[in-house]
Amino acid sequence: MSDLANVEPGDDIPPWTMPLVDPARMRTMAAILRDPYPVHWDRDGNAAIGLPGRVINQGPLNLGYVVNMLLAWAGPSCVRRLSVSFGRPVLDGDAVTAGGRVTEVSIIDDERRATCEVWLDRAGEHVVTGTAVVALSTAPSNLVPTQSHD
Amino acid sequence: MSDGIASTGSSPTGLSETDLESLVGHRFVGGRYRIEHWENWLLTDCTGRDPLPDGLAHPIVLFHVPILGVGTSIAELFELGGVAGPGSVGLEGYDWEYIRPLREDMEYRMEGGIVTARRTSDDAGRVIDEFAFEITLFDDDDQVAARVTNRWVLRR
Repeated sequence: MSDLANVEPGDDIPPWTMPLVDPARMRTMAAILRDPYPVHWDRDGNAAIGLPGRVINQGPLNLGYVVNMLLAWAGPSCVRRLSVSFGRPVLDGDAVTAGGRVTEVSIIDDERRATCEVWLDRAGEHVVTGTAVVALSTAPSNLVPTQSHD
Repeated sequence: MSDGIASTGSSPTGLSETDLESLVGHRFVGGRYRIEHWENWLLTDCTGRDPLPDGLAHPIVLFHVPILGVGTSIAELFELGGVAGPGSVGLEGYDWEYIRPLREDMEYRMEGGIVTARRTSDDAGRVIDEFAFEITLFDDDDQVAARVTNRWVLRR
């Protein structure tokens, strides 16, 4: 995590890159989501929408890369709000990079929070854009203990 | 569920504008959902990172957990919107609020419904419908843990 005590508007969030969007992960994700939409796993079917031989990454996974950037920057329970819009689809084999910039730092509910512009880029093109609100003071002691797993 | 796909899809049902607008106020049956460790582990792995500590759920669980927990499904939402087939559905956007950290092995109660629906068209004059649903998650103290509003685009 970065030095969150000194975060101020204008700061860039360290980027997070997914170097290769993997179709196997899309298939796993489709099962977890109980998502019957074939665009995520049926390469042949996607010829009908001009994407023969390609499959389309799930929107939640695209957002997941943005979230991973935030978690790496501000800690595992930092996310307070995500408001995002989806642009062009991300396809298997793409490389994408999440980025962000702090626009405001304020105290909300007795917690110091950063409002950030966030995005996901593919070859310099924004494919996801939005706003994230992130807590800047999420120490592990703030977390409610839970049972552990083997 | 995809995002931002150029469409050649068409509606198999010919949902009328009146039918579309009547979706507003539709309430999902409601229910409960427990985020299992294996499920959170796999989902987190799909995003390309290691599991979070302390049983924390990856924040993107707020896509499928509310949908399944409130007693609906992606398939049923497609059916409600009267769409099927590649290119017929796209994600417009999300607004997700996290009031409390979401965790594995905790059961959440959910309630929600469709909050907006409207018909519009693209530059080529093709009919495009938009609808949004909102679902609230309550923890075991019956306190609001999270709230999602998801906006979908249905292409006719």
